[in-house]
Amino acid sequence: MSWRDAWALAVKGVRRRPGRAVLTVLAVALASALLTALLTIAGTAETKVLDELAQGGPLAGIKVAAAEPDPGQIDQDNARPGPARDLDDAARQRIAELPEVARVLPVVTARALVVAPSQTPAGENLDPFVETVVGVDLSSSASLPVTVLAGRLPGPASTTELAVTQGYLERLGLERTEAAEVLGTEVVWGAGRLFPEGERSFVRGRWVRAQVVGVVAQEAATGSFLVPLAQTQAAREWTRSGPDGGAFLELASSPYSGLFVVAQGIDNVSRVRSQITAIGYSTSAPENLIATVRRYLHVVEIVLSAVGGIGLVIAALGITNALLAAVRERRREIGVLKAIGARDRDVLSIFLIEAATLGLVGGVLGTTLGWLVARGVGGVVNGYLAAQGLAGVQLGIPVVVVAGGVFGSALLSLLGGTLPALRAARLPAREAVGGA
Amino acid sequence: MGGGDHHGVVTPLSVDVRGLGHRFASRGGHIEVLDGLDLAVAAGDHVALVGQSGAGKSTLLAVLGGLEPPQRGQVVVEGHDLAGLSGDELAAFRRQTVGFVFQHFGLLETLSAAENVELACTLAGVARQRRGHRARQLLDAVGLAPRASHRPPELSGGERQRVAIARALANQPRVVLADEPTGNLDEDSAALVVELLETLPGDHGCTLVVVTHNRALARRAGRRLVLRDGCLHENEPASPSTSSPGPAR
Repeated sequence: MSWRDAWALAVKGVRRRPGRAVLTVLAVALASALLTALLTIAGTAETKVLDELAQGGPLAGIKVAAAEPDPGQIDQDNARPGPARDLDDAARQRIAELPEVARVLPVVTARALVVAPSQTPAGENLDPFVETVVGVDLSSSASLPVTVLAGRLPGPASTTELAVTQGYLERLGLERTEAAEVLGTEVVWGAGRLFPEGERSFVRGRWVRAQVVGVVAQEAATGSFLVPLAQTQAAREWTRSGPDGGAFLELASSPYSGLFVVAQGIDNVSRVRSQITAIGYSTSAPENLIATVRRYLHVVEIVLSAVGGIGLVIAALGITNALLAAVRERRREIGVLKAIGARDRDVLSIFLIEAATLGLVGGVLGTTLGWLVARGVGGVVNGYLAAQGLAGVQLGIPVVVVAGGVFGSALLSLLGGTLPALRAARLPAREAVGGA
Repeated sequence: MGGGDHHGVVTPLSVDVRGLGHRFASRGGHIEVLDGLDLAVAAGDHVALVGQSGAGKSTLLAVLGGLEPPQRGQVVVEGHDLAGLSGDELAAFRRQTVGFVFQHFGLLETLSAAENVELACTLAGVARQRRGHRARQLLDAVGLAPRASHRPPELSGGERQRVAIARALANQPRVVLADEPTGNLDEDSAALVVELLETLPGDHGCTLVVVTHNRALARRAGRRLVLRDGCLHENEPASPSTSSPGPAR
């Protein structure tokens, strides 16, 4: 008997008791839905938690400071830098050439006098203040530890746009949830330069009028404003071009304030850090924290998988029970099948296919249901995160979970159906005839 | 294999049973259902097996059809010594050599009449198109072509038994074994089924062995054998036999 014929018979066997078949499929579907939903939620939660830890940047990101490494701090996530050391193009090039480095992104900061709106939204006066402006290559924002909380990032080449951080919101007396209120407002910021006039010197600014287009959380460098790299480079050049080379305004001699290095995968972070340390720069990366969090999240995943797995095993036992009942009911039918020439393996395959079909249908339904449940939960979580002023979660379709849900259900059902199928296959053909 | 002597002409034996013994275990020990039973049936013969309930008629039929292995003795059906066949060989024997007709019809309720007939061809590995053609042909022969798409619950008892007969003939068996084929039928339906069964040896050239309580059916058989005390006893045929009168041994 061909597999196609066996499948056709098996499907008709399933339809023989539609109520029982529906209940069996439902049991598998519910277990599969539970497993899919739990793993999808756990996976998304892991992504979200790690994303928060990495501030939206890559998990394999390393911050390199314009400083020598402190030997006692080398393995620390937030290593305290040693004495200052210039981070120039040559150093950048050496780091970029390290074997496990994927990208090197420069960070240039500038101290600036900031003139914000004269009044806070609450009506309080706001005086000009000195703040650090962080410049990064915004065309590579996906590789940077920057998360947009509201609005958008400034254009990579824009000279009139900037993004602010929570520090600026706090200065204005705004909560994170009120971030949208600053969008569209204007900020004027200027880097200083010393101008000698006779015996006296004056500081004059290079002023930039910019519109706030976004609110971000960023870990590239300490500072309340985020702008395209060219802006802070121009500001730095302005300060440095003074007769004192920027010394009066305490301009650091290092061309780059720092580098953000992306390693080729999280497993290479430690090695790349060691290599950068060997070159002579202080690094920091949340590798220990991420490793610890991942370990805990994996434990959670294992527990959730076990819960879903137990559900699936119970469902498979349900299939065993349903098929055993079917074998009991169909003893005579099985006998007749054998009487008209079915071999033991024909009967075995019919019942195994019945079990696998129930499992496969249950798996498909359950996985779909589970994903929908996860989406629903994701919606609720996003609502909560939005209320907290946090970026929401993006629920993808986890291919491994979906494939595992569908084929795992079918496989477990197949295992569950093995005993009844063997029992059916071993029934004597004599069952077709009654009495003596 | 021996032969049956019919008016001086030796015909090949379709069924040759020698010293068949069969017993069932019970709480009180063993029940000897068949005890040294001998049977010789010539090819194309029509034999009726009668006897009281529990006499072992169905067991004998099961052994002849390869549903039950013979415990003692030798059973040769159409040249196949059943004691020496493996499970798969027995299945092949049931597919190709014998056809069964059961009292309970034995139709799969989830399949249509045509699909039930086709099923026997499917198990024999007949190609899909040929199966359909064969099923239509056989259902037409038993007068059920218009009911081909009906499922067993939608058919009367007589119609179901006719479908079962069509299925039994699907792979052109050499021997048809019928176990109380009219047992669940009313008089009119039984008469139709009896008429149909009677045509099998002539129209299909097969040997017909019928276990029955139906006296009319038994009387119309070429030979009537009574199973009593585990052995077969020849009864007077109601009409001239077309085959060897060979004694029930």
